[in-house]
Amino acid sequence: MAYTEEELKKELETKEYEYGFYTDIESDTFPVGLNEEIIRKISDKKGEPEWMTDWRLKAYYNWKEMTEPEWANVHYKKPDLQSISYYSAPKKKPKYENLDQVDPELLETFNKLGISIEEQKKLSGVAVDIVVDSVSVATTFRETLAEKGIIFCSISEAIKDHPELVKKYIGTVIPPKDNYYAALNSAVFTDGSFCYIPKGVRCPMELSTYFRINQAGTGQFERTLVIADESSYVSYLEGCTAPSRDENQLHAAVVELIAMDDAEIKYSTVQNWYPGDKEGKGGVYNFVTKRGLCNTRSKISWTQVETGSAVTWKYPSCILKGDYSIGEFYSIAVTNNFQQADTGTKMIHLGNNTRSTIISKGISAGNSQNSYRGLVKVGSRTKNARNFSQCDSLLMGNDCGAHTFPYIEAKSNTAHIEHEATTSKIGEDQIFYCNQRGIDTEKAIALIVNGFSKEVLNKLPMEFAVEAQKLLEISLEGSVG
Amino acid sequence: MEFKEKLISSYLAFEEDLDLTDSVHDTRAHALKIFEEKGFPSKKDELWKYTSLDALIHKDYSLFPKSEASIELKDVKKYFLYDTDTYKVIFIDGVYNPFLSNTTHDGLDVCLMSAALSKPKYRDIINSYFNKIAPFDESLTALNTSYAKEGAFIYIPKKTVAEKPIEIIHFSSGEQDSLWLQPRNLIVIDKNSQVQIIERHQSLKQHSVVTNSVTEIYVHEEAFVDYYKLQNDLTTASLIDNTYIQQEKNSHASVHTFSLGGKLIRNNLRYFHKGEHILSTLKGVTILEGKQHVDHSTMVHHSQPNCESHQDYKGIFSERSEGVFNGQILVDKIAQKTNAFQQNNNVLLDDKATVNSKPQLEIFADDVKCSHGCTIGQMNEEALFYLRSRGIPKKEAKALMTYAFANNVLESVQLPSLKKRINGQIARKLGVNLGFEL
Amino acid sequence: MLTIENLHAQVEGKTILKGIDLDVKAGEVHAIMGPNGSGKSTLASVVAGNEDYKVIKGKILLKGNDLADLDAESRAHLGIFLSFQYPVEIPGVSVTNFIKTAINANRKAQGLKDMPASELLKKIREKAKLLDIDSKFLSRSLNEGFSGGEKKRNEIFQMAMLEPAFAILDETDSGLDIDALKIVANGVNKLKGKDNAVVVITHYQRLLDYIVPDFVHVLFDGKIVKSGTKELAHELEAKGYDWIKELA
Repeated sequence: MAYTEEELKKELETKEYEYGFYTDIESDTFPVGLNEEIIRKISDKKGEPEWMTDWRLKAYYNWKEMTEPEWANVHYKKPDLQSISYYSAPKKKPKYENLDQVDPELLETFNKLGISIEEQKKLSGVAVDIVVDSVSVATTFRETLAEKGIIFCSISEAIKDHPELVKKYIGTVIPPKDNYYAALNSAVFTDGSFCYIPKGVRCPMELSTYFRINQAGTGQFERTLVIADESSYVSYLEGCTAPSRDENQLHAAVVELIAMDDAEIKYSTVQNWYPGDKEGKGGVYNFVTKRGLCNTRSKISWTQVETGSAVTWKYPSCILKGDYSIGEFYSIAVTNNFQQADTGTKMIHLGNNTRSTIISKGISAGNSQNSYRGLVKVGSRTKNARNFSQCDSLLMGNDCGAHTFPYIEAKSNTAHIEHEATTSKIGEDQIFYCNQRGIDTEKAIALIVNGFSKEVLNKLPMEFAVEAQKLLEISLEGSVG
Repeated sequence: MEFKEKLISSYLAFEEDLDLTDSVHDTRAHALKIFEEKGFPSKKDELWKYTSLDALIHKDYSLFPKSEASIELKDVKKYFLYDTDTYKVIFIDGVYNPFLSNTTHDGLDVCLMSAALSKPKYRDIINSYFNKIAPFDESLTALNTSYAKEGAFIYIPKKTVAEKPIEIIHFSSGEQDSLWLQPRNLIVIDKNSQVQIIERHQSLKQHSVVTNSVTEIYVHEEAFVDYYKLQNDLTTASLIDNTYIQQEKNSHASVHTFSLGGKLIRNNLRYFHKGEHILSTLKGVTILEGKQHVDHSTMVHHSQPNCESHQDYKGIFSERSEGVFNGQILVDKIAQKTNAFQQNNNVLLDDKATVNSKPQLEIFADDVKCSHGCTIGQMNEEALFYLRSRGIPKKEAKALMTYAFANNVLESVQLPSLKKRINGQIARKLGVNLGFEL
Repeated sequence: MLTIENLHAQVEGKTILKGIDLDVKAGEVHAIMGPNGSGKSTLASVVAGNEDYKVIKGKILLKGNDLADLDAESRAHLGIFLSFQYPVEIPGVSVTNFIKTAINANRKAQGLKDMPASELLKKIREKAKLLDIDSKFLSRSLNEGFSGGEKKRNEIFQMAMLEPAFAILDETDSGLDIDALKIVANGVNKLKGKDNAVVVITHYQRLLDYIVPDFVHVLFDGKIVKSGTKELAHELEAKGYDWIKELA
């Protein structure tokens, strides 16, 4: 694995949120508030067919009947959903055939984000679909993918160009009325990514999307739909950043994955939305619904590194519907300062001989609260389901909290479930040992934290793993007393 | 009339023969108000997510048994720890039975709650301890408090080791169908003292009875309480047991709960720490069949440094039975050097049996060792095969292994005669012919 | 190389070292022996800069530099190495990753750039061979699940990699069987040179058959009560520590 500790040291010099800059691009923003008219306008603006408009409206009316969930172990001022603008797109119609046509300032933004498209194109062979404030502005490698019959585009394009696929699958894993935020997203989503891998095709490169919240007071409601047809394989990477802003920004995404028989989807997320400042002011509310449906012998693997956001509410889940299907959840959640995270997974075992693995590593520092919440459910007609869960928490300092809320529901005598959780701190003796070898305390902690998170970091694709390690260190800086 | 309404309206009748000027009565009245506001818990309450009281509370019960039922010793002897000399506080249908009881005031007090509440000499103890740790915000406990009048009262003064174990047994005679009982126990173990207590609820005939019991236990410095709850009632009896334990420094409080029978059992067991170097032990064996339902809801609140807690619950579920384990470990910011462990292991023997387990950790201190583990599964197939290869038939082999699985919780039972009996009961329940003494 | 003058040190308010004087010159090997509780490991910890130990009097000089105000990593940068009696486990951090971090941290302190990966790899292979360490071992988590012997061998491997000016080996022989002891001793001997020095702390004479000391000191109740040459070690082996107590 690439060695990064030295580079990290440099990152440590900057104390403020490193992606906290604001790009001055002319935007086309809707007036604030949410009503039927706004939804029609979003749909109209995007040139959507009528069935889509109706689908959104149905979701909107469902949402109106719902209340914001309160069961999570997080405390925050509820966002005023009527004061958010539900549509913000860079004004210059972003449809580029090549990168030279892209607004130079926007390219500069990408560069600052360290995701230089050209670099990635050349070096890592990653196809990138970048979403800035909801509208997809640059998609690369589409042609290479098209040769294999892979569709990788923005969801808006998919609605226009592949309505049969979208119509067939959207909302099937996460119905619009699934929960408050999923319903809201269904009504107002402005863009997101769509991916379809045809039967028997192994996607030759990692598909990647970067999300970024830019405009003040805009919520980000992206919608992702990934369909892996029979016996196909895809690895999908999602990265998120937001510039620093004082008011909280809402991010309510929905990600649906469908793995057909014998297919495999690997979905990796590195989330570093703006976490708020040291006093807990500002930061993103990250209320995300992610769920995958596994058909026979298929596999869905969620890997997440969550270091950002002021409040995180996120449970990437697997519905193991098909026999012999496999669900995996590997998570690192780091909270520092006044961040709050309530994250985990649900593994719903419906098919026979289904297996799931949960590895969750929580690291709390500063005044933060970090909760794991998970559900493992085995139905009464399910035979031979297996689950293994391991939840480890690391506490740094004495003003933070680490919590574990596993729900284990078994109705089958052939189920085999094991859950373990531990809580620990970084030992003084470990730090002294490192010190004695000439490693300073800050670096010693980074080393130990990386070691603690190893099992999950190893699950990330290489280029993400490096970034993730970097993020771990950045998010924990200043947490050492 | 809904049963809740009945509970509220019957209160006037209950008050009739009580001293209304007493401060205890203010507590009762306040508790009733809270119950009136909150009502019975429902599945919407996180702590009641997996246990519904609906089937119990949408019925009518009589709150005050009409006449004293008479029971002969020979009919109930088998429920006593007959081969050991014990103090006994025995109630029949909620009413104290002096003939079966063996109370004392000699060096320690083993007597009645009603006596302690009314006699001036217990005034100070009642004022210091009654309802001091039983929380008002748990509605069933509030309900019990509002009707608190009878139960066991145990006071062990400083530097006293209770020579004999104490048995608290609540019989329901079945003379009267649909009975709602609310015993209230208060147990105070002063500094450097020790006591062993066995509590049991037993109905003598198939009849509908619900017991909503509250026990407060105060364990002072250097004291040790060793408490056993035997729950092996008929399938028509339900029990909601609320036990609150407050410990002071260097004390040890151990509670073993053996849930082997009953219709619906809910055990709320809560520990509060008021000093350092406290040890809390919570152990349980649950073996159910039919449509029985047992819910263990535990909470150990580590609010002081250098304390230790161990939770070990084992469950074996057959037919359509349901087991719930909801264990909470809470570690406050100041509770550094806490060691808190929790283990919940379950075996499902039939495909209609259910286990819902929710072992939780909430930790606010960094220098602690906390862990929990939960398993749900079947017998180890390899071990099973090993036994069968030695000629033991599958059914027996399975029973033997299930027995071994449950039995290791018994190791910490300090009363040999009790251990033997429970061991025997577990073996019988699991169809194991021991044929020898363990 | 290392000079200790009238060193007094406390742990948890209890005085353990009560006036230690020691002068170790470059190229020398010293052995410090003594019964349990005499302060041997405390001395090692104090020299390495463990903050649980408080120096209340006296000083420690390395090549003339007073170590008093230096933290543990700065002392390491100056060339102090402690082979721990009980090396700590760091889960998830491989031996290789750890040593790489340590080497580059030390190089940085010297104003050097990171060691190129190829050079590092070469050095790791060379030193691993010296100590008969399997390459699989290098990818395991640091000290996690290591046997006693593996832990000690790993300590000496790190010493070989870091090439310290001054090394203290705290009970490196404990937990080693005779074959491992020979490998470890052989490693130490190969690392010995005219520009560095080694202090071996041990309870038994056994190790000194393989790492031959120039001087032997006997520590008792926080003081060096007797110093001599390697014959002293044999004398201790034969007579035990009881007669030492009378010297105190």
